[in-house]
Amino acid sequence: MSGRGIWSLVAAGLLLMAAEPAWAQEALAAAPEYGDFPLIGARGAVWIAAQVHLMFAAFVLGVPMFAVVVEAIGIFGGEERYDKLAKEFTRLLLVAYSATAIWGAVLVFVLASLYPRFWAYLTTVFAPSMWVYAGLFFLESFTLYLYYYGWDRWRRGLSKKLHLGLGLALNVWGTIVMFIANSWLTFMMSPPGDLAADTAPQTVQLWSAIANATWMPINIHRLIANVVFGGAVVGAYAAYRFLAARSDEERAHYDWMGYVGNFIAIGALIVLPFAGYWLGREIYEFNQQMGITMMGGFMSWLWIIQAFLIGVLFLTGNYYLWVGMGRIPGAERFMPYIKWMLVVLVLGTIVWATPHTMIANRREIAEMGGTHHPFLGVLGVMSAKNTAVNLMILTTFLSFLMYRRANKQPVVSWAKTGTMLQGAAFALSSGIVLFYGIYGYFVTAIVRIGFSVYQVLAVLACIFLVIILDVVMMRGATSRGAIRWGQMPARSQYALFILAVTFTWLMGLMGFARSGIRQHWHVFEVIRDTSPQAVTPALGPAATMISTCVLIFMALVGFIFWLGGLADKPGAAAQPVHHARPEG
Amino acid sequence: MLRTNLSVLFVVLGTLAVYTAVANMIPQVASEVPVEMEIGSDVTPEQLATIGEELYAGAGGCMACHGLGTRAPDLLGVAGTNCSTRREGLDCKAYLYESLTEPGVFVVEGFQPIMTDMRRTLSEAQIWALVAFLQSQGGEITVTAADIPQEAAGADGAGIGSAGGAPAGAASTIKDPVELLRVSICLACHQLGEEGVALGPSFDDMAGGDPEYLRRSILLPNADTADGFEAVAGTMPTNFGDQLTAAQLEIIVRFLAGER
Repeated sequence: MSGRGIWSLVAAGLLLMAAEPAWAQEALAAAPEYGDFPLIGARGAVWIAAQVHLMFAAFVLGVPMFAVVVEAIGIFGGEERYDKLAKEFTRLLLVAYSATAIWGAVLVFVLASLYPRFWAYLTTVFAPSMWVYAGLFFLESFTLYLYYYGWDRWRRGLSKKLHLGLGLALNVWGTIVMFIANSWLTFMMSPPGDLAADTAPQTVQLWSAIANATWMPINIHRLIANVVFGGAVVGAYAAYRFLAARSDEERAHYDWMGYVGNFIAIGALIVLPFAGYWLGREIYEFNQQMGITMMGGFMSWLWIIQAFLIGVLFLTGNYYLWVGMGRIPGAERFMPYIKWMLVVLVLGTIVWATPHTMIANRREIAEMGGTHHPFLGVLGVMSAKNTAVNLMILTTFLSFLMYRRANKQPVVSWAKTGTMLQGAAFALSSGIVLFYGIYGYFVTAIVRIGFSVYQVLAVLACIFLVIILDVVMMRGATSRGAIRWGQMPARSQYALFILAVTFTWLMGLMGFARSGIRQHWHVFEVIRDTSPQAVTPALGPAATMISTCVLIFMALVGFIFWLGGLADKPGAAAQPVHHARPEG
Repeated sequence: MLRTNLSVLFVVLGTLAVYTAVANMIPQVASEVPVEMEIGSDVTPEQLATIGEELYAGAGGCMACHGLGTRAPDLLGVAGTNCSTRREGLDCKAYLYESLTEPGVFVVEGFQPIMTDMRRTLSEAQIWALVAFLQSQGGEITVTAADIPQEAAGADGAGIGSAGGAPAGAASTIKDPVELLRVSICLACHQLGEEGVALGPSFDDMAGGDPEYLRRSILLPNADTADGFEAVAGTMPTNFGDQLTAAQLEIIVRFLAGER
């Protein structure tokens, strides 16, 4: 397709958003079905544009959530270092925001030019929501600029609280924008039940298209995942600045920032599986066959890769904490436990990544001597996997607790009882998880599925109870010595890079899973994908594509962070940022 | 600084390389697009079985559950050996056809009734091709071109990639509500007096129900889920709007609402 043709189609697609229904229908019928893109094809182009846009979007939506929380901690806790940290988070946001918008525009252009008829269909169904989206995007942009550029101007009293209000508003606009965009993609996955191939798009009720079966589960899942992702990328940024730091003060600041980023990422990651469970359940409820395709069909191996990646996340996140304990006076008393925690994490990863119900051909079934592997078939069932992942979550939480308590000496009279209660909560929770894990082998599948709820509740209750106890117990605690921020070995910072790359890759993988379960449908069981690239690729080619997207994202993010950091360089026109040395 | 930059680059590229390599080392399964293939009136039983095999692994989606042991019975290599003894009074061909089109009538012991009516996604000719393939798994293929209705054979609606021809549905002449519930296989999941299976909500409890709600539940079964039946949500076929005439739908709605 010529360049001129592409731009004509883009224009036609955009015009369709405002078109009268009859004209829209004619234009829709007249548009060619598919365009072509050099080298990587139409699907490849849309894949990269959508994925990279999503990565930037996740970052600019996730960071404001914790930036505003950190700013609030600074205001109400009276510690200025938090305010500076929140501002630095927001500065990263500012430079990433333009990239989000650019990749969003690229996505619209490739969709309109390469899938013109489908694009016309979507715009006909969703036109009003697209206008609202564009309006909110403006609002979000202006709020962001006010939020960042007003930081130093509105820094005292009521104006500071109003500034915090701007941060909250930024989150509200961003969340609505994301919800609107989510409605478009979830409509493709789980369209309303009364929608058929011959249903005219003008007759589709907008709200029924928006509030489809998977819309809210995706909204919640993405909200949490954005925080995880934002925390991880911020952690990597801090790690780079730590490695490049020229002074102890700078190193101390970025060490602390990296810790906060990692804390946010891993903390939010712990609750993410529960949102994922809800999403999976809704997919099954929407269409049993879609759920089976996702979990036991051609995508079954994808979950083994996911388990491997999450194992890496748990191991790396814990490793970072364990190394970090080396700079905390008093942490040495916890060191003997680390090797046992490592054993739990490694065993948990192995069990979780054990294949069980995999799609197999006749030759593979014959070689295994049955539909399941004679040994792994027993180890890889959900009872064992749920037990493994819950114990891994408990272990990670224990790492955080040790880190948090390392240099603190409680002064309350009931400190020993409190610590014993915390230990009992861990023991009881682990016991419940193990009991249902073993009991699950002796009941039917339908009963076994229900056990996972008890396991999750036991873990959440433990986390909740232990945190409450800890916060109360550590009030007025004396210090065993200040955290030696900045005295971290370089290898710990590379762990933060691995975390960021793994989170980003995982995001791409899950995006492939969500999109791929539609198989050869643009809109599941309504509009068939008849393009030459309608086949849903196997994991190998998909992984290559995901790595390409991650590489593009990482390269761009590195570049724009470098640009953003130019202001800090000596001799730059702007006022240099002075970092207070965190006290721990 | 250069060394730091190179180290960071090495870590990022190395991590990506490991993930890409692992994903390329595991078995590669793509979801192929169903291929258009015509089933003519002169098709041989062997050709039908070959087409059926492609459907089994592709558009039919059979391998998502069968062959994995836990969800549905294994069929490869054995489907043709035990099909004639599964249901009294039905020969192999009739049993397999019934299993594909009315899967709720007989469920193999130890398995849940999760199979959907294949007429939702496959044409009549494609279903017969699947029957032929399943018979070939240890048995003799007795399906012939004569089994395929004339209107289902040929290019119209018989391609493997097509969405399927119109289902047979409940005979349009039936006016008795109980008979309609029987032929529409409703009793495979719902109970009516002593008849039926208590998998979904009982018909006996629907008396006095809102006709509009009942109508929607039949035509759009995924629109609402009755309390206590969340576990089987999504399993009710969504093609009753195609199978029933408008008059039959109203007969059933009035009957269920209590006009008995």
